[in-house]
Amino acid sequence: MNSKTKTQKILVYLMMITICVITVGPFLYTLFIALKSATQGIYDGLLPTNPTLSNFIDAFHKTDFLLYLWNTVIVTGIAVVFNLLFSSMAGYALARIEFKGRSIVLTLIIATMTVPFQLYMAPLFQIAGELGLRNTHVGLAILQISTAFGIYFMRQAFLNVPKELEESAYLDGANRFVVWWKVAMPLVKPTVISLAIYTFTFTWGDYLWPLINTTDSSMYTISIGLAQMSQNFDGGNMKLISAASILTTIPSLLVFIWLQKYFISGQTDGAVKG
Amino acid sequence: MNRQPFSIIKRKWTKNLTPWVFLLPSILILGIFLVIPIVEAFRWSFLDYKIIADTSDFVGLANFREIFSDEIFWKALGNTILYVVIVLPLNILLPLFLAVLVNQKIRAVGAFRVLYYLPVITPIVVGALMWKMLYSQEGAISNILVSLGILDESMNFLTNSSTAIVAVAFITVWKGLGYYMVMYLANLQSISSQLYESASIDGANVFHKFTKITMPMMVPSMTLVSVLTIINGLKVFEEIALTTNGGPAGATTTLVMYIYDKFIDLDVSIASAAGLVLLVLAIVGSLLQMKLSSKREDDLKA
Repeated sequence: MNSKTKTQKILVYLMMITICVITVGPFLYTLFIALKSATQGIYDGLLPTNPTLSNFIDAFHKTDFLLYLWNTVIVTGIAVVFNLLFSSMAGYALARIEFKGRSIVLTLIIATMTVPFQLYMAPLFQIAGELGLRNTHVGLAILQISTAFGIYFMRQAFLNVPKELEESAYLDGANRFVVWWKVAMPLVKPTVISLAIYTFTFTWGDYLWPLINTTDSSMYTISIGLAQMSQNFDGGNMKLISAASILTTIPSLLVFIWLQKYFISGQTDGAVKG
Repeated sequence: MNRQPFSIIKRKWTKNLTPWVFLLPSILILGIFLVIPIVEAFRWSFLDYKIIADTSDFVGLANFREIFSDEIFWKALGNTILYVVIVLPLNILLPLFLAVLVNQKIRAVGAFRVLYYLPVITPIVVGALMWKMLYSQEGAISNILVSLGILDESMNFLTNSSTAIVAVAFITVWKGLGYYMVMYLANLQSISSQLYESASIDGANVFHKFTKITMPMMVPSMTLVSVLTIINGLKVFEEIALTTNGGPAGATTTLVMYIYDKFIDLDVSIASAAGLVLLVLAIVGSLLQMKLSSKREDDLKA
């Protein structure tokens, strides 16, 4: 009996490790390529024979990687701050305040969530141009400055906050905004963090909107920069691009390790987003 | 006779105004950057809209007639459906298998969950670049398959028209494994352990428990995974644009690649019409799936 469970256990671990090869393998493969020295071909053996960090250093020196990184940080920063602020404001009103037109606003928000971005990207491109948002950081962040998903997600969280907690604050003479900011917001902190993570991950890795809204290479985000590098450079520079790819993933990885449990809870609570 | 004190009127005003102050930033932003573009897309699909000349003649359904008589559109639609058909069963089953594995109370299981989630948080451009190298002629996958004797000679999976769409679909599956696993995990953990215990008493083995208890209880999350896979699958773009760019010879041109190409050619009315087709498919797909699964649930109850 005991030996049977032991072999079972070994089998389970073997399967789990095999799956790891699939999920993590591509990262290791890319890392190994990034570590290969100038004399070793990119597909020449799996492991780097003469491991070097020069490709990582060159990514900063020989390309505009640092500029792309900086653009992405600013765009993501704008998106996260404003999406949290505006979505939680709107979500709070839709959860807590009775007013005429509330159900219309709510229906409209839920309805827009099913519309694919690719349907309205051309008109959005035109509007962004007319408003002077082409090749600007704000222009790159507009998809995430306030989102239908964020509003819906925050509303669900506020609905679960017990009303009594807010009522005592009203008795103390606080107004709506104070109650929202001082009482309700701290109570939905996990949801706020989940929305921040969602906004971060989306904006950090977004490709299509930055692709059409940036024509000036000094405004490229990392995604666009990486894609352009891989198209413009010949195969010989794949080591450098591999290094840049690894570097691009590190911030996402750090955020993930830091806020792991919120990734999971945010995903299961917000499963409606699609 | 309507002589309320000024302060009451003022209070009433601020009371009516308060929700709109909360909503104002979002209404402005979503109005300008979401609602207006959507309305415009509907309008453009019935016009012959020239984005640079800014001329727009009403053409009725001519744009739809044009795309429906365009061979490339049908090819793109066919490829999109083929792609979804490849991804769907893999997305339903593989993450379920992963979830069952990491749902066990064994050592280091948390670390495995993290490692399975890694592709989810990876920017898609990075994912696509990595797989492009793996799939290349001298890349790892070709090497492995040749050394195992499955392939006679090395090949590039992305430039071969019979393998390209499968290769691209697998990138999608790889990126979603951890995401759907987490959905299944939540569902798995909601199943009462008493069900398994009483099944054990009745003499059920592991296989029976899985097929008779786990699978039926997982219907809600399987439905959710299917709907998300279909909706996201219809919109596939990055994996393809960054690896095959629709090739070879249109073998991976999907609906969104078609829309994107029309947009780049500034055929925005055609792009909008094709976008509406995409919207309809997305809505139909999710309605159909929901109906099917609610029927399955009814069957189970009966």
